[in-house]
Amino acid sequence: MILRGVRARLTLWYVAPLAGVIALYLTVVSALAFWQMNRVLTHLAKEDLETVKGLLYFRADGRVDLHQEYHHHTEWRQAQERLLEVLGPDGRILYRNERLGARTIDGPPMPGEGDRVYSERSAQMSDGSAVLLVSSRYELQGAPVLIRVAYSEDLIWRRLRETLAILLLALPFALAAIAFIGYKMAARALDPVEQMARRAQQINSENLDERLPVENPDDELGHLAIEFNATLGRIGQSFEQLRRFTSDASHELRTPLAAIRSIGEVGLQQDASPEAYRDTIGSMLEEVNRLTGLVDNLLTLSRADAGHIALQPSVFPVMPLLREAASLLEVLIEDKSLRVELVEEEEVCALADRLYLRQAVVNVLHNAVKFTPVGGAISARVYREANWAVLAIRDSGPGIPPQHASRVFERFYRVDEARSGEKAAGLGLSIAQWAVRANKGEIGLISAAGDGCTFWIRLPAARCRAAA
Amino acid sequence: MRVLVVEDEDKMAEALRHGLETDHYSVSVAHTGEEAFYLVSTETYDLVILDWLLPGRDGIEVLTRLRQRGVSVPVLLVTARDATEDRVRGLDAGADDYLVKPFAFPELLARIRALLRRGVAETSDRLTVADLEMDVAAHKVKRAGKELALTAREFDLLEYLLRQPGRVVSREMLARDVWKENARYTPLDNVIDVHVARLRRKLDDHCEKKLLRTVRGVGFVLGEDAA
Repeated sequence: MILRGVRARLTLWYVAPLAGVIALYLTVVSALAFWQMNRVLTHLAKEDLETVKGLLYFRADGRVDLHQEYHHHTEWRQAQERLLEVLGPDGRILYRNERLGARTIDGPPMPGEGDRVYSERSAQMSDGSAVLLVSSRYELQGAPVLIRVAYSEDLIWRRLRETLAILLLALPFALAAIAFIGYKMAARALDPVEQMARRAQQINSENLDERLPVENPDDELGHLAIEFNATLGRIGQSFEQLRRFTSDASHELRTPLAAIRSIGEVGLQQDASPEAYRDTIGSMLEEVNRLTGLVDNLLTLSRADAGHIALQPSVFPVMPLLREAASLLEVLIEDKSLRVELVEEEEVCALADRLYLRQAVVNVLHNAVKFTPVGGAISARVYREANWAVLAIRDSGPGIPPQHASRVFERFYRVDEARSGEKAAGLGLSIAQWAVRANKGEIGLISAAGDGCTFWIRLPAARCRAAA
Repeated sequence: MRVLVVEDEDKMAEALRHGLETDHYSVSVAHTGEEAFYLVSTETYDLVILDWLLPGRDGIEVLTRLRQRGVSVPVLLVTARDATEDRVRGLDAGADDYLVKPFAFPELLARIRALLRRGVAETSDRLTVADLEMDVAAHKVKRAGKELALTAREFDLLEYLLRQPGRVVSREMLARDVWKENARYTPLDNVIDVHVARLRRKLDDHCEKKLLRTVRGVGFVLGEDAA
């Protein structure tokens, strides 16, 4: 599972840098320890050198020797590790202690070696091993000699290795512990994600209204859950819309089909005159026409939904469009003796696909004509509002109660099926809404029951061409 | 006039054959693209009504091959596909006209007539049916010698009907040819109905003999035998 992968990765992400930090820490500590031990050893070597000075004497044969008895008093056991060499001013070796044997600590005295109280340096003995060397000039019974005391650096390295070994031995355990804790912590942090995944898995088209739990709305996972829920909400909404649309559409399609069937069946039941048969067939064809129109409209809308309609926007003045729509519907207006007033408050041009927009305006105006009672009035105004070209059509119909206002643009929606008495499916306003929105405009209505309603269309305004 | 109907659906093919024969065309029917190709290659037709969707070789393919072989018979492409791209494709393939299913039969007849007389301009200025006379140039209409006062739209409508006397004219045809609208829609249908009703009032109300008749579910017809 991916989550396990994330957990492992998270664990790795903090174990790896931590291991790096530990390695760096060990390096620094080792360097410091080395430096420190070096200093201590140098210090001891100097003390030892002073001790040695007191113990040296010239033997009768002119050679130098060391009073050995003092060794028993030494408190520093490492004095036994001491390498000692005494040289004459000409570089002749006057004394080598037992531990040194036949080796030399370093070659002949270097210029200026031991001139100041002590000189100290790392040196390489004749057998190649590295030593820490402290040397000093001394007047032994009146004769000048160079005393060299050295300790093998192995001493330091051994100590360092031991310490490091212990630390390194513990390291894997520490890292393992860190990894383990890290993994557990990652698991705990990711647990809500896994829970969300499980919940999300159970959500399908049947229970789209389920939501993910939001434990803490302020943290990242909370954001994720909230976003996810919002997405679910939107999907649920369009799903619901689609479901309603499908059921409405099949209902609308079924109505003419049922009529065709009944008319046909009844027509066949008895012998009738050719005129009666003509009438029957004509009646069936009327329903077929209705069905055809419905399918055409549905097709237009579904193409619009799929974004398959290519718009051809142009700049045009709005008022002529309104006049065109009104003149197209003129006979309907006359038939109902409506008073129609078209007002252009100022010349406004819009950028849109004129053909689709004309359809929208015709549909909205037709709607107004349909619902305004005989002798009523319709007033349409064209004006500019900020960057919008606005077209508002007010009718003196029964108005639309607020609870219906937001739904009149829905497909097949009818405010009052019984009262409208219209056979046409409620698609006109849906198509108008699509046409307006596709042209980056907005459509809406203002209404109060009993007081008519005003449909408005807003379109992106454009500068009118001089010739227009 | 010999017409070949290429249509795979039997009912549709039969209806077309019957309807066209009633209108005095002699009709052959092909059910597949291959059959159509064979028939067009071996016989002469004045017009082919070609369905786009056919089993095997489809209408467009048949049409393309026919045009490649230099067959120039007028072809009316009939299809349920009504997207603009489809129309363009159809016309590009060499169709002379394009009709979307479901269509009104009078519309099909009108298109066929238009294709068959293509190139022959019809410019008669005086149209008469029974005692109705129209002088197109002078923009005058008389019924039984009495001049009728018609609006511009009513005049156009009547002229359109007069040019096809005795033939049924559908609302689609009126929407396209008289109102010059590219599609038929509900408000427009209402408008057409009202105009026709008004025209009928002016034309027939004061006369014994009714000339303008509604054919229910199909359209309108102007003719002497109107009941």
